[in-house]
Amino acid sequence: MNASLRLSLSSLRAHRRRFAGTFISVFLGVAFLAGTLVMGDTLRASFSNLFGDATAGTDAVVRSADTITTPGESQGVRQPVDVSLVKSVERVPQVAAAEPDIQGRGQLVGADGTPIGGQGPPTTAGNWLRDTRLNPYRLAEGRAPARSGEVVVNKGAAEKGGLKVGDTTTLRTPDPVKVTIVGLATFGGADGMGQATYTGMTRADAEEYLTARPGEAANIKVRAEDGVSQRQLVDALTPVLPKGMEAITGQESAQENNETISGQFLTLFTNFLLVFSGVALLVATFSIYNTFAIVVAQRTRENALLRALGAARGQVTAATLVEATAVALTASALGLGGGIGIAAGLQALFPAVGFPFPEGELVVKGTSLLLPLAVGVVVCLGSALLPAARAGRTAPLAALRETAVDQSGTSRSRAVVGGGLGVLAAASTLTGVWVTPSLWLAGLGALFALAAFVVLGPVASRAAVRALGAPLDRLRGITGGLARRNALRSPRRTAATASALMIGVTVVSLFTVFAASLKTTMDQTVSRSFAGDIAVSAPSFGAGGSGLSPKLAPAIAEQPGVRYAVGLGSGVADVNGGGRALTITDPATLGKVLDLGPVDGTLQHLGTDGIAVSRKAADQQHLTVGSTARLAFTDGTKPSFTVRAVYDQSELVGNYVITRSAWAPHRTQDSDTLVAVTFDPGVSAAEGKATVERVAAQYGKPSVQTRSEYAESSASGIDMMLTLVYALLALAVFIALLGIANTLTLALHERTRELGLLRAVGQTRPQLRAMVRWESVLVAAFGTAGGLLLGAFLGWVLVRAAGGASDTGFTFTLPPVNLAAVALVGLAAGALAGLRPARRAARLNVLRAIAME
Amino acid sequence: MTVVTTPGGSATGLRMAARVEHAVKVYGSGDTEVRALDGVSVGFQAGRFTAIMGPSGSGKSTLMHCAAGLDTLTSGSAHIGDSELSGLDDRRLTLLRRDRVGFVFQAFNLVPTLTVAENITLPLDLAGCTADREWVDTLIETVGLRDRLRHRPAQLSGGQQQRVAVARAFAGRPDVVFADEPTGNLDSRSGEEVLNLLGRAVRQMDRTVVMVTHDPVAAAHADEVVFLADGRLVDRMESPTAEAVLDRMKAFEVRS
Repeated sequence: MNASLRLSLSSLRAHRRRFAGTFISVFLGVAFLAGTLVMGDTLRASFSNLFGDATAGTDAVVRSADTITTPGESQGVRQPVDVSLVKSVERVPQVAAAEPDIQGRGQLVGADGTPIGGQGPPTTAGNWLRDTRLNPYRLAEGRAPARSGEVVVNKGAAEKGGLKVGDTTTLRTPDPVKVTIVGLATFGGADGMGQATYTGMTRADAEEYLTARPGEAANIKVRAEDGVSQRQLVDALTPVLPKGMEAITGQESAQENNETISGQFLTLFTNFLLVFSGVALLVATFSIYNTFAIVVAQRTRENALLRALGAARGQVTAATLVEATAVALTASALGLGGGIGIAAGLQALFPAVGFPFPEGELVVKGTSLLLPLAVGVVVCLGSALLPAARAGRTAPLAALRETAVDQSGTSRSRAVVGGGLGVLAAASTLTGVWVTPSLWLAGLGALFALAAFVVLGPVASRAAVRALGAPLDRLRGITGGLARRNALRSPRRTAATASALMIGVTVVSLFTVFAASLKTTMDQTVSRSFAGDIAVSAPSFGAGGSGLSPKLAPAIAEQPGVRYAVGLGSGVADVNGGGRALTITDPATLGKVLDLGPVDGTLQHLGTDGIAVSRKAADQQHLTVGSTARLAFTDGTKPSFTVRAVYDQSELVGNYVITRSAWAPHRTQDSDTLVAVTFDPGVSAAEGKATVERVAAQYGKPSVQTRSEYAESSASGIDMMLTLVYALLALAVFIALLGIANTLTLALHERTRELGLLRAVGQTRPQLRAMVRWESVLVAAFGTAGGLLLGAFLGWVLVRAAGGASDTGFTFTLPPVNLAAVALVGLAAGALAGLRPARRAARLNVLRAIAME
Repeated sequence: MTVVTTPGGSATGLRMAARVEHAVKVYGSGDTEVRALDGVSVGFQAGRFTAIMGPSGSGKSTLMHCAAGLDTLTSGSAHIGDSELSGLDDRRLTLLRRDRVGFVFQAFNLVPTLTVAENITLPLDLAGCTADREWVDTLIETVGLRDRLRHRPAQLSGGQQQRVAVARAFAGRPDVVFADEPTGNLDSRSGEEVLNLLGRAVRQMDRTVVMVTHDPVAAAHADEVVFLADGRLVDRMESPTAEAVLDRMKAFEVRS
C-alpha cells in the first residue's frame, strides 16, 4: 500500500495537467452544491430572524380556526375576525394592547406610472397598527397615517417605485385609491419583507378598501402586560373567544409565517437548484470516468512493468484509486470553499440587483459541508472505479505489446444489454403514457432510456459519427476525413465524452420541448376558449398583483360600441368536502365572451343558489343538472347550491361558477382576474381597444390586449422560467465541454508521433488545428444529436404523462427553431472545446514529436 | 571526385536537389552547448542516391533534418533546389516540405486511421491537389502493394509499411526524398527490398534520394556516401561497397 501511495502521488505530480479537467469538474459540481445548501440555510435563518425580530412585540394572535385550502395552494383562506372582538379581548386583564390586523392586497403604482412588484412576491396592504410594538413595521422616516388617503409604505417599495415622503400615487386595491405617502417603514431592520411590498393605511381606509364589509379583520394582534408569558396570555384569552376562534402565541404565528416562506418557497427554490447541481455532477461523472480510463490506458506499459516486477493486482488498482481520492479530496475541499464563496457573493450581489437578501451571518451547517464533500468524493471515486479495476487487470505481458487501436466497446453483449434497457424504457414509458397514465412510470422509463443511450453509445458512435461526418469529407477534404476517423478511433471514449454533453443537451431540449408544449397548450386554450375581442388583465405572477377592479367590467360595458364586458373574479369555498376555487362572474353573458362548449342545462338563471360545474368536476363529484352541492364559505355559512348547468370547456372559466349576487354575502376583498370584452359588429379592433384603454386608465391601467396578444402574454412567464433553466444548465454543459477538451488533449498526447508525421509530410498548422477542431465538433455533434433525440422523446413522454395525469389536456409541440438553436449551440460548443487542444497540438515541435517514444 | 561543393551547380551542368552551406547547428548554451553541425557544406546532386554516414552523434540526422526543412540552422544556409530555407516561416516551410520534399522515417511512417491508398496520397490530399493517377499507379506497382490498397497500416508487416512510406514519399514527385534510417526497424530481407526500391526510384525514375544510415550494407546501395564525424564533413566515397564503407567507418573509430 505504501508503494501504491508513493506511485500514485508521484504520478499525480508528474501529470497534473491531465487531471485539471477532472479537478475543475469536481470543483464546480461541489461548489454549486455547497453554494446552494449554504445559501438556502442562510436565507432560511435570515428570514427566521427577520420574522422573529419584526413580530417580537406580538404575544398572541386571535383568528378563526378553520381554513379552506384549494388544491395547489399552500396557504388556506381563513375566515375574517369581527373587530368588535377587540373589545372583549382588551377586557382580559393580562392584555396590554390589542389591535385588529386588516390584511389585503394593494399594488402601488410607481412614480413612472408602472406598478411596483407583482412578479412573484406578494403586494400587501393593511391598517397601520398604532401600537408600535404590535406593528412589525417601524417608521424610518415621516409619520404614521392620520387622515384618510395617507399611507406608510415600506422603504424597499418606495425605492423601487421612485417614491418619497410627500408624493401622491395610486394604490390598486384593485380599485384605484389616491394615496399620499407620509412615511417610510422598515421590517425587522430590512427595507421590507423580502421583495414583498407593504402599504399601511388608516384603519378606516383599510376597512373601506381592503375588506368586503367594514368591521372585518384578518386577525387580532395582542400584546401582554409585562410579566405575562405568551402561553399565559393565550390561556387567558381562550375562554373569552367565541366558537370557531382560536388564540396562538406570537412565536407560533412567526413560526407559521416563516414556514410559508422558508418551508415552501425556499425549499422549492433550493431543491430546484439541487436538481441542477445533480445534473452537473452526473455530467462530471462521465468526464472523470473518461479521464481515468484514458490515463490508465496510456499507462498500460507502466502498469504492466509494475506487474512484471511483482506488484499485485490490488496494488495497481489501489494506486489509481489513491490518485482519484487525492484529486477528489482536493477538488471537493476547494469546491466547499468555492461554494461558501458563491453564497457570500450572492449575499452581496442580491441587494445590488434589487433583491433584498436579509442581513445576517452566512450559515454554514455541518451537513452543507459534509454532503457536498461526500458527493464529490463518491462521484470522483465511483467514476474512477472501473478504470482502476482495469488497471489492475493489466497483464504483465502488455508491457511488450503495442496496443494500437481500441476496438472495445462495440461488443455484442453491450448491444444486447443496451437493447434490453431500451425495450424496458419503451415498455414503461408507453405504459405510463397510454395504459395507466402515471408520471412515476414514465419517469422510470426515462431513466431506463437514459441508461440505454449511455450503454448503446459506443455501439452507435461508429454509425453516428460516420453519418454526421459524411459531409466533412466533401467539405473539408483530407482534414475532415482525418477528423472523422480520429473521432471513430475509440468508440468507447468517443461515446463517454459525448454522453456527458448528451445528458446536458437532453435536459436542455427536454425543457425546451416541455416549455413549447406548455405555450402551445396555453395558446390553444385561449384561442379555443376566449371568444372575446379584447382581454383586460392585470399581469401578475405568483402571489403578487392586485387584480382588476370589479367595477371595471360594468364601466366598459357602458361604453358605446361595446356589446359585452364580462369580468371573471375568483373566490374559494369548500364544495362537497374539499376546498375549491370558484369563478365569480355574470354567468348569463359568460357564454358570449368565452366558449364553454356544449352545456347541459343553462347558465341563464343561476340566481343566488345556483352553481355551474365543468364536465370534469361534475364527473368526479357525481353531479348532474339538478343535483345539490353543499358549499361552505370562509364566513362559516354552509348553503346548498343546485347545479343548474354543466359545461365542457373549463380551461379559462375554471370548474365552479357562481353569480356575483350569490358570492356577495360571503365575499372577501373583491377583484377580477380577467375582463373579456366583445364589440358590436362594425367596431374595428383598434377603435374598440382605444375605448377600453381609456376606461381602463381610470382603474389603475391594467393591460388591454387583443386576443392574440393575450394568448402570447399568457405564455410569457414560461419564457422567463426557461431562461433561468438555461442559465442553470450552462454549468452542466460547461463541464461536458471541459470533458471533451480534456479527452481530446489526452488523446492528442497519445498521437504525438502521428501529429509530427502529419506535420512533416506537409500538414500546415491551420490544417492541424482544423482537424482537431472538427474532431471535437463531431464528438459534440454526436452528443448533441443523442441529446436532442432523447430530450425530444422524454419531452413527449413528460407532456403525455402530465396531460394524462392532470385534468387539463396537454398538446405536444416540437419547436424546430429552438431545437435547431440548441443543436447549433452544441456544435459551436464543440468547436469551442476543441480550440485549446488544437492550439496546443499545433504548437508541437515536429522533430521532437517524431522522435518521441 | 565529381561532387561539386560550390554553389550554382547548374552552371557546371550538375543540378543540386538540396544543399547546405557552412551549416552550423548548436543545441543548448554554455556548459551544455553541443555543436551538432560545425560548418558543413555539402550538395546533393539531383538524380542521385546519396547516403550520409557517421558514428552516433556525428550530426548525420541533424544534417538531414536541417537540409529537409524540419529543423533550422543556427547559421549557414540550406537550400531545396533554388529555395533558401532560412528565410521561410513555418507555413512556407510546411508548404515546401509538402510540395517538394518526401520523407521516409525509421518507424511510424503511416497514419493509422488512413488506408494504404490514402496514406500514399496524403501529401497531395493535404495540398488539395488531385494526384497524377498514372504516376501513383506506377508507384503502387513498383512497391507491389496493389492488393493492399484498402488495408490499414496495422494490417501490414513492417516491411510493407516501409514500402508504403516509400510510395508516399515519391507520390508528389518531390525534388528530393529524405530517408532517415528507413531500414532500421526491418529484418535484412525487408530492408533489402526497401533499399532496392529507393535505388530503382533514382535510377529508373530519375528521382533524388538522401538517406541517413549507420548500416554499411544499406549505404552500399547509394551512388555516393558522405561521411560525417563530430559535426564535420570528413570524407566522401563514390560507388561504395559494404566492405569499403565498413573499413572507412572502422578507421573513424580507431582515430577517435
